[in-house]
Amino acid sequence: MTSIGTGYDLSNSVFSPDGRNFQVEYAVKAVENGGTAVGIRCKDGVVLAIEKIITSKLLKVGANKRISTVDRHVGVVSSGLVPDGRHFVARARDEASSWRKFYKAPISTAMLSNRLGAYVQAYTLYSSVRPFGVTSIIGGWDSEADIPVDGQVGNGPQVGAGGKVTDVKKGGPALYMIEPSGQYWGYYGAATGKGRQAAKAELEKLDLSPTGISLEEGVKEAARIIYVAHEDSKDKEFELEMTWISSLDGPTKGRHQEVPKELREEAERLAKKSLEGDDDDEEEEKTGEEKMEE
Amino acid sequence: MMDHPATGMLGADGIHVDMNHLKKGEVNLGTSIMAINFKDGVILGADSRTTTGAYIANRVTDKLTQVHDTIWCCRSGSAADTQAVADIVHYYLQMYDITNNEPPTTQTAASLFQDLCYENKDMLSAGIIIAGYDKRHGGQVYSIPLGGSLHKQSYAIGGSGSTYIYGYCDANWREGMNEEEGINFVKGALQEAIKWDGSSGGVIRLAVLTAKGAVRHLYLPDNGYTAPGPY
Amino acid sequence: MVGFDFSNHNRNLALHARGVPLPQATSTGTTIVGCIFDGGVVIAADTRATSGPIVADKNCEKLHYIAPQIWCAGAGTAADTEFTTALISSNLELHSLSTGRKPRVITCMTMLKQHLFRYQGHIGAYLVVAGVDPTGVGLFTVHAHGSTDKLPYVTMGSGSLAAMSVFETQWKPELTRDEAVKLCANAIQAGIWNDLGSGSNVDVCVITENNSTLLRNYITPNVREKKQRNYRFPRGTTAVLNEKVIKREDISKYVTVHELKDDSETAVAEKMELDA
Repeated sequence: MTSIGTGYDLSNSVFSPDGRNFQVEYAVKAVENGGTAVGIRCKDGVVLAIEKIITSKLLKVGANKRISTVDRHVGVVSSGLVPDGRHFVARARDEASSWRKFYKAPISTAMLSNRLGAYVQAYTLYSSVRPFGVTSIIGGWDSEADIPVDGQVGNGPQVGAGGKVTDVKKGGPALYMIEPSGQYWGYYGAATGKGRQAAKAELEKLDLSPTGISLEEGVKEAARIIYVAHEDSKDKEFELEMTWISSLDGPTKGRHQEVPKELREEAERLAKKSLEGDDDDEEEEKTGEEKMEE
Repeated sequence: MMDHPATGMLGADGIHVDMNHLKKGEVNLGTSIMAINFKDGVILGADSRTTTGAYIANRVTDKLTQVHDTIWCCRSGSAADTQAVADIVHYYLQMYDITNNEPPTTQTAASLFQDLCYENKDMLSAGIIIAGYDKRHGGQVYSIPLGGSLHKQSYAIGGSGSTYIYGYCDANWREGMNEEEGINFVKGALQEAIKWDGSSGGVIRLAVLTAKGAVRHLYLPDNGYTAPGPY
Repeated sequence: MVGFDFSNHNRNLALHARGVPLPQATSTGTTIVGCIFDGGVVIAADTRATSGPIVADKNCEKLHYIAPQIWCAGAGTAADTEFTTALISSNLELHSLSTGRKPRVITCMTMLKQHLFRYQGHIGAYLVVAGVDPTGVGLFTVHAHGSTDKLPYVTMGSGSLAAMSVFETQWKPELTRDEAVKLCANAIQAGIWNDLGSGSNVDVCVITENNSTLLRNYITPNVREKKQRNYRFPRGTTAVLNEKVIKREDISKYVTVHELKDDSETAVAEKMELDA
């Protein structure tokens, strides 16, 4: 059903007779034109990556970051309208810091996603606002260690806490994706933006179970997936931005950081190499299909 | 302008906190309270005396207050202030549980208590010990004295009666006691505090918090604090 | 002059510095008690209200209605107990109406303590809250600063020590209704006789699962004796020394005299004009 001219697409607060909110659907369209963004939840960390289309040669390489740190252990990447993404990040930072002020401890990624989901959803209800033109991927590492209350003095008993249950699962990687409707799910691998279909197809091939690929493998896969997803818009040049969050004993020590230049360049080299290989494979397959048609 | 000798709760030297700045006629918990960490969790203990000046307003007070399933606190100072603070934290922890669909940790509770006690330090006279058991961290004991600082301890003592039992506790404390040893340590210390402190007295109340939940104990002076025990 | 005038503040400081005390509110130097029994709760109070050394009211009411099955005994500043209980009674009824349930004693106690805590003791209401609700029998004390206690028998006010001595010697678990009423009345009388701030009569309120009874002036141990003599003197007690009659004609020389026919004529000016 087309919405043009019906009037049901003019305001947020109006449903169409078949129960759709066109403003939200238009916001999704805005996202579908954004650069491809992916998030991968590995067994020992999370990777976030985005394809930044170079719109002008005058833009400084490596500047104009699109992945933001929200709290020490959480990063956010958005695809769609960049300023909307920045506002989303500002809100995420407010939520994280107000949680810290109240509970003197970092917010869990799940709790942060829940609050942001509620925030985004509120922008679909009122005629005075428009929905967010972004889909955001939130990656975090919830500390597996016992963290003290900020500002506490002392450490308690030398022998440790009494009656502590040792085999309880604590913390770990977390990955969420929030859409303009406010809907959000937890993911093993998440993709959004222009090349999401190709990216999702690639993500599904990975072993992202709790015993699956490592963070370093994840970094390489993320880079490769962004390159694969870029195949459809080959005419445009792009820049790859990547961040990661490892476990406490990993390379980032539970913090959200940019992937080091050397590692990123290595991942990009491998990505390009595999694409060249892919081309060969595809041609081989094509010839195979053709053969069968004969 | 009128000149003020000292502000807030600080004494004349501007450093030490004035412990006796209760408003006239205010109900006071001249108290002996403590909480300890033991092998399986924590034990909280308190006497039961509430005073207004020289009068005992309640001789069977319950100073052990539940703020969540296995997070409790011992209250000392102004009865009104500590009840109000505990009620607010109780409310916050219930909200935390239902909105986040998981029980709060003892740390969360301690942080909430500290926030209230520190931000309102000029208006409150509350010395609170928080002890709780949660699956992730096991048993933990936190103490928040008058200024609103937060101390994680293996055991904590508080209230006017605690001054008399620093020696007893230091001499008898051992880490990793079993439940019976822990109960005897708390009971023994509180008996001494009650004996020497005029503002403490009545019965001894305990709460034992472990993975199995909370068990309360009561010990009466009639039989030298040996019975009736858990209930 | 524009703006606020703070000169009274400096005046008050100066007066205070010279030893002028602040004005005193009427305080109910009081004995109030409460006691639970099998199936209900009794509260009782004396009926003396004082203002400094003066007995301001010899038969005041210190038992306040909160809800049909919840009553409150008040000590402290009379106006504060009166208005605080009235406010909470009102809010509790609205709460009961909106939830469609009977009000609970613990709800009442919580509303009182939160209200009083907010005012940091400046509302001088010391209350005994008692009642029966779907959860059972409730008996609490609430102090002006907002602290509360839950006990099987309670006393408050200046006579609380005298009253408590009665409870501590005579109270036993599992009292009957009549025993509890008698015990509370005795406790109040201990206050009436031994505390300067308490006196006059005993008011009692008994609350059970299906009704509450206010026994106003349940005991009146201070009935005023009939005066043996009075100040109405018989006619002729004062001797007439001389007598002089002045006629109307004589006095009209000095003032104008109008002749009035009857009462209706005199009230003419006060008649209200009505619209036709």
